[in-house]
Amino acid sequence: MEMIKTMRAPVLALVVLLAAISATVPITQGSATNAANIVETASTTTGNKTTGDPILEDMVTFLVQVPYGIEDGGLAVQGNNLSAYVFMESFLHGEMDVVIRLDFPDGFQIRGPALQSFKLYTEYDDWYQFIDFYVPPDMPTGTYAIKATATIEIEGQQDVIERNIAIRVASKDEVSDMISINRVIIPSDEEGIGDASRQENTFVLQETSPLIKRMAVIAGIGSSDGDGDVKVSHIGVEIENNGDEAIPLIISYAILDVNTRQPVEEFRPTLMGMSSETFSYANIILPAGSKKTVGLPVYISETALGGEYLMHVKATVMGSDWTAAARDDRINAISRNWTSIFISLSALLLTITAIGIFVLRSNAIISSFKTRHLMMISLFGTASFAAVNIPMTFLWDIAHAVLGPFSFLFIGIFYEIVLYMLIVASVVLIPKPGVVTLLLMVRYLLNGVLLGHFNPVFLISYSVNAIALEFMLYAVGMTRGNVIGGYAGRIRTGFVCATADALSQYVSFNVWMVLYRLFYSDWYIRANILIDGFLYTFIGAWLGINLGNRLKKVIE
Amino acid sequence: MISARSIAEPTIRDTVIHRLDPRAKIIMLIATSFIIVALDNPQTMLLLFLVVLSGFVPARMPMIKMKTLLVLLVLVMWGTMYSQALFYSQLPRTVIFTIIPPDAPFLGWLTHGGLFVYKEGFYYGAVQALRSATVLSMGLLMCWTTDPRDMLNGLARLKVPYSIAFMVVTAVRFLPIIIAEVATVITVQRLKGFKPTKMGPGMIKTALGVLTPTLANCVRRASVLAVSIESRAFRAHRTRTYLKELQYSRFDMILIVAAVSLTISIVSAKLLFNLYTSEIYYSSELRGIYSLARGYL
Repeated sequence: MEMIKTMRAPVLALVVLLAAISATVPITQGSATNAANIVETASTTTGNKTTGDPILEDMVTFLVQVPYGIEDGGLAVQGNNLSAYVFMESFLHGEMDVVIRLDFPDGFQIRGPALQSFKLYTEYDDWYQFIDFYVPPDMPTGTYAIKATATIEIEGQQDVIERNIAIRVASKDEVSDMISINRVIIPSDEEGIGDASRQENTFVLQETSPLIKRMAVIAGIGSSDGDGDVKVSHIGVEIENNGDEAIPLIISYAILDVNTRQPVEEFRPTLMGMSSETFSYANIILPAGSKKTVGLPVYISETALGGEYLMHVKATVMGSDWTAAARDDRINAISRNWTSIFISLSALLLTITAIGIFVLRSNAIISSFKTRHLMMISLFGTASFAAVNIPMTFLWDIAHAVLGPFSFLFIGIFYEIVLYMLIVASVVLIPKPGVVTLLLMVRYLLNGVLLGHFNPVFLISYSVNAIALEFMLYAVGMTRGNVIGGYAGRIRTGFVCATADALSQYVSFNVWMVLYRLFYSDWYIRANILIDGFLYTFIGAWLGINLGNRLKKVIE
Repeated sequence: MISARSIAEPTIRDTVIHRLDPRAKIIMLIATSFIIVALDNPQTMLLLFLVVLSGFVPARMPMIKMKTLLVLLVLVMWGTMYSQALFYSQLPRTVIFTIIPPDAPFLGWLTHGGLFVYKEGFYYGAVQALRSATVLSMGLLMCWTTDPRDMLNGLARLKVPYSIAFMVVTAVRFLPIIIAEVATVITVQRLKGFKPTKMGPGMIKTALGVLTPTLANCVRRASVLAVSIESRAFRAHRTRTYLKELQYSRFDMILIVAAVSLTISIVSAKLLFNLYTSEIYYSSELRGIYSLARGYL
């Protein structure tokens, strides 16, 4: 661009000199080989009927687009607001006073002054203005001429350049019949071409977990820039012009709520301080009898929810605010919670591994227990089933129905306090690794055999709970025969049980969400983990030590 | 009156369902669990649920069992529908009731902007509850038509360690006794002036009061039981024989092969479809499978 600017001055000087020698040389021929702006002027003067002093024409670019964006004949729709665009740039190394006047035929209503005056001070100084006008609905259809006059005064000498622009006024029905949106390709590439490897009419929402995002960045497949919270996808819009003349169009879209038809904010996030709508349109000139596919970017905020939406695509005639063609398509947004999937898969692998090890080493594990211990674990399992599972079969859902989302405050009394009293009491009585696993195994099988709850989620949750408890109880020495005495020991036991249960609760929620496609709010999961998983379990473990010590006396 | 006994005890009859090998029932239950987890299409899920429910007809279950099943299904369905109506996080969603307004002190903050009941969540919950309802129905059909000893025999033949199976048999055997003991202890507590069913912090005290004597009896019983079974050569040998040998019938084999094949097919198809929809793996040769999974699974 810099090179073009540096080239422009000597070339222009040459052009002016040649023009001074021979005024018959057409301006467009001389300027067409020059830089961008001159080319633009040339094409404009081709489309607009130009009159004026050729030397003066070389000193300025005077561009008029009616409506905005149309250089070669425009189309106006009855009953619509449009904008005309007037641009002037000076190539004179000095000041010039300019007065521009736009003359519309009778019937057009101009919103604002038709006369504009300004001063251009030096070479490449420019001025532009949008002039709004209205085409009344009763304006007869046909072609009209608009005249733009620029009166330029340089050092007291005045001259005039004129532009005559033809504009055709058409009815809405005429234009609507010309344009149709044939299909919307979702998702597509940047060019609007569909991709068979991706599900039709579906957007895949991005992972919101900071951990996964960080991992993606490290792996080189994620974005680490400021707009990393926004995912970019694309749609293709196939649009057709059945008419006999080219139509300039703006293609845009909005993603709406299917019930309210209101735009969904998560699909128009802020980018670089601006609404993404600023970037989500395409302007095209659609030649007569042609078809074109345009690609549009879709920006999706990380807070977007999955579900069903309405993709509203519209085509407006450039410079107009009237929708010439529109189309609605139902689309889906799929949210893949990769954190939950990852956690569930890990838990499943852990469960399979643990069960595999147990089955392979079952003889060795079982042999390490006396028959009396096995019977005691079995009866404790029965007691836990009788005290927790059977009442909870009914109370769980009744509590849900009565207490709603706060039912966990009640349910936790059974599922955490009573259960952990039993678990910890059994460990106090038989301080050996494997006690918790056997107890939970008996409970799971009883639950399956008697209540039909052979549920994969329960299997994974119980397994993770057993593994976490075994590991942590062994780590603090409780299943290595260390005597739990005093407050420190109780607190330590309560803490490890609470931590293990909080972990298994977290895993359990994720597995429910993945395998059973259930939704849980973050606050609900956190409250459950904190109150049920941690606090209630801590209380249960504490009381379990008391219970275990009392039962020891029975053995003794 | 629906009681724990009406849930837990099987009704033994001579029907086509009762005669199925327990291993075949367990395998079909596992297959159902896998299939229902893989499915997303509401119509197919409903169909599977109805197929499982239809199994109760040839099993000729007594009315009390059917009432129990109905109550459990209603509770499961309602629980899931209600929770999903609260936590539904898809669009569109229509608020039909506000439980906690966003500006409620503390709770509004705790719930990150209030808690609402969404109309679409009820429908979504009803569809998703079909998973739990199907697994529950299948499990109950299996339990109510199989003697627990046969079930555990089946588990042992499916490589569940015999000692574990025996522990579960013991647990099943002693369950009515322990429930009776718990009931006795609660009665005693009531006679002493406690109110065991009263809600509140007293529940923990009640739980301790109930569990201590119950578990003390368990500890004593475990010692007696251990001596008793050891005297009958429990764990005397690495391997053991069974009084009742299980034998697959032709019908069992057909059911097992059909269930396993169907499970592998459905789970594989859904796995491939999910890889495609997650934009992880796509092959144009698998379009037929994608189409099948999208339309019916």
